[in-house]
Amino acid sequence: MRGKSLGRTWPLYTAVSPYYLLFAVFGLFPIGFSAYLAFHRWDGLNPVTFAGLDQFRFVWADDTFRLAVVNTLIIWVLSTVPMLLMSLGLASLLNSVRRFKTFYQVVLFLPSVTSIVAIAIFFKAIFDNDYGVLNDTLKGFGIPTVQWFSGYWSIKILISLLLTWQWVGYNAIIYYAGLQAISSDVYEAAKIDGAGPLRTFWSITVPLLRPVILFTVIISTITGMQTFTEPQVLFGANTAGNGNAGGPGQAGLTMVLYFYQQAFVNNNYGYGAALAYAIFAIVAVFAIINWRIVARSDK
Amino acid sequence: MDTSQSQPGRRRPALSGGSAGPLSRRSVLKGGALAILGAGVLPLSACSGGSATSGGGAGSATSTLWYWGGGMSDKVVAAAVEHFKATTTIKPSIIGGDFKQKLQTSLAGGSFIPTVTGIKGEDMPYFRSVTAKFVDLNTLGAAAIASKGLAWKWKEGQDLSGKQIGYPIDIGPTAMFYRSDFFEKAGLPTDPTAVGEAVKTWDSFYELGKELHAKVPTTYPVSSLGSVWAIVLGQTQERFVSKDNAFTGDSDELHQAWLTTCRAQQLGINAASSTSFNAALAQGKIGAEFGAAWHALDLSDAAPQTSGMWRVANNPVRPTNFGGSFLAIPTATKDTKLAFEIIQWLLSTDNESKGFTDAAIFPADPAAWTTPALTGGTAFFGGQKTIDIFGPAAKIVPSQYTAPSDAAVAGPYGDELTKVETAGKDPEAAWKDAVAAAREVAKRQGVTA
Repeated sequence: MRGKSLGRTWPLYTAVSPYYLLFAVFGLFPIGFSAYLAFHRWDGLNPVTFAGLDQFRFVWADDTFRLAVVNTLIIWVLSTVPMLLMSLGLASLLNSVRRFKTFYQVVLFLPSVTSIVAIAIFFKAIFDNDYGVLNDTLKGFGIPTVQWFSGYWSIKILISLLLTWQWVGYNAIIYYAGLQAISSDVYEAAKIDGAGPLRTFWSITVPLLRPVILFTVIISTITGMQTFTEPQVLFGANTAGNGNAGGPGQAGLTMVLYFYQQAFVNNNYGYGAALAYAIFAIVAVFAIINWRIVARSDK
Repeated sequence: MDTSQSQPGRRRPALSGGSAGPLSRRSVLKGGALAILGAGVLPLSACSGGSATSGGGAGSATSTLWYWGGGMSDKVVAAAVEHFKATTTIKPSIIGGDFKQKLQTSLAGGSFIPTVTGIKGEDMPYFRSVTAKFVDLNTLGAAAIASKGLAWKWKEGQDLSGKQIGYPIDIGPTAMFYRSDFFEKAGLPTDPTAVGEAVKTWDSFYELGKELHAKVPTTYPVSSLGSVWAIVLGQTQERFVSKDNAFTGDSDELHQAWLTTCRAQQLGINAASSTSFNAALAQGKIGAEFGAAWHALDLSDAAPQTSGMWRVANNPVRPTNFGGSFLAIPTATKDTKLAFEIIQWLLSTDNESKGFTDAAIFPADPAAWTTPALTGGTAFFGGQKTIDIFGPAAKIVPSQYTAPSDAAVAGPYGDELTKVETAGKDPEAAWKDAVAAAREVAKRQGVTA
């Protein structure tokens, strides 16, 4: 009986197998191997030696990692909160626009598919401490300039700005899709009841968009916690002899950038694996918080 | 810097149905399809990258050669392909991104290993710690060639037991580049020999630097603390980790080197231009700059309009070396004799001098220094024959042991120097923090600390 059912279902299993095979090779195996590495020492080529809990003890005592966690959280808040609010605003604007709708959609989506390296060059030209367009303009108006690439906060603001610029349109498109799913009947009813545009927005649009908003919050949390490329390309050549340090004062050092530096630059794969699991634990905590909120909203 | 290197994380997932709110069957299917597509594209592109370089070490008629853009003259490599046509098909691959990472991965994985590979100078301390992965070139007759070359450079390509892993391609003897027009304006000597005499010690360099900045306030004698640090560090007897794998990053010698570096900041003569070096260079903010022979190309690329104004003189105390790469033969290579022949041909005196003409690669082979390509004057340096500075400098570079963990342990010093430079941190406090952080890194690297 069992064999018979397998005989009938094998095409289905075959059809779904590519995903699982690829996941096994590029997902499951690395997860397992890094769990093994986290208890060992390995420089990438020399023999692996057992290290017990040493790597985790190092993580616990590592001030730089703690700095990276704080940096990541600050950058995450600085980028996600304004970004999602702006996305919501842009989406409602897009929803009420009558002409050139496709054009606006394309324009909003473009930054998210633009090469991050190109964006970084652009940002450097604008925000450069000494020769940036922005500081030149400030100087022209007699306003004190900001050392964007050097300060504890300015570095974080700079990275957040880049993240916001890149992803605000992407999220706006998602919100826009959600807005279109809201029936116009509801809006008409609200209009008849005498609700103004603001009241309509807060009492109808936001509550009905809630699932979409939660989706974007979760995605932004997971990706925000893994911010890596932005500080790497912005501050790559900015620290004496340490290209992956996250800029002056390591103010732009995020968790994943630190992990990358330790594992791949310093050839310390055991420690890198332990850091990766620490990052996993931190992201998991936030994922659980998110999940609790989602679960509550379903009731 | 190169940003195409393998980067973990940060790929926005495709909008797959949405994890919040009710899921429709259709959106789930669509999401799954997207995920498969997304996952499928990566291994495909990886395969196509790999197949181009496959066959290395298979003992077949093809020999693969890995190097990076600018690591060797492309013309010389093309000529090698032509030269060895009858014996073997050389397949050169310019490996983009993080070269060390890719070589490490192929060696660890045991496939797609090149027949001959380049190794960057800064990665040599790491790769010579895994000597089992490379052929001892002395078994192929490298010792005889080494005896005619620079002893310190060949030693860089050896492990502690004397096994020769790397065959030197190029070197980076250091010197001081300076703007003769600014020096003249400040009433300072402009002749390279006289300038070299005037900056014989760090004290006299700083005296001259103060004078330069006082007379021409828009220019600075130091571009960033990192550039001074690289030189004084090269002048020390022992770096951060000793030969017996003990932490030495708190030595008096390094402390002195640190204070020497930070004096540029305290004297107010540091341009602190690490973020915008090119612009600072073009605007004449940098009046003097330390760097290796190959740094000349950075200067002329960044500020072509300053051509003719630059000169080269000896840097304070004594020249050091910064960079310079090697060719090596992995143990997976079957025909090691042929591989060694290819290396010898690629790095013959003639081809070394061509490498200098084509790609400003400063030859590790001293015989190449007497060829016209190197003995001619350089327009960017006002017709100065820079080999007169770099040649003698290269011969007296001190030999220094660099541990595999050196770069990692050095990291915190760079971070703290940047704090001194950008946040005005007290040099002594920065030194203490750097040593403490470096000690932790050393422990994690398995160094006795």
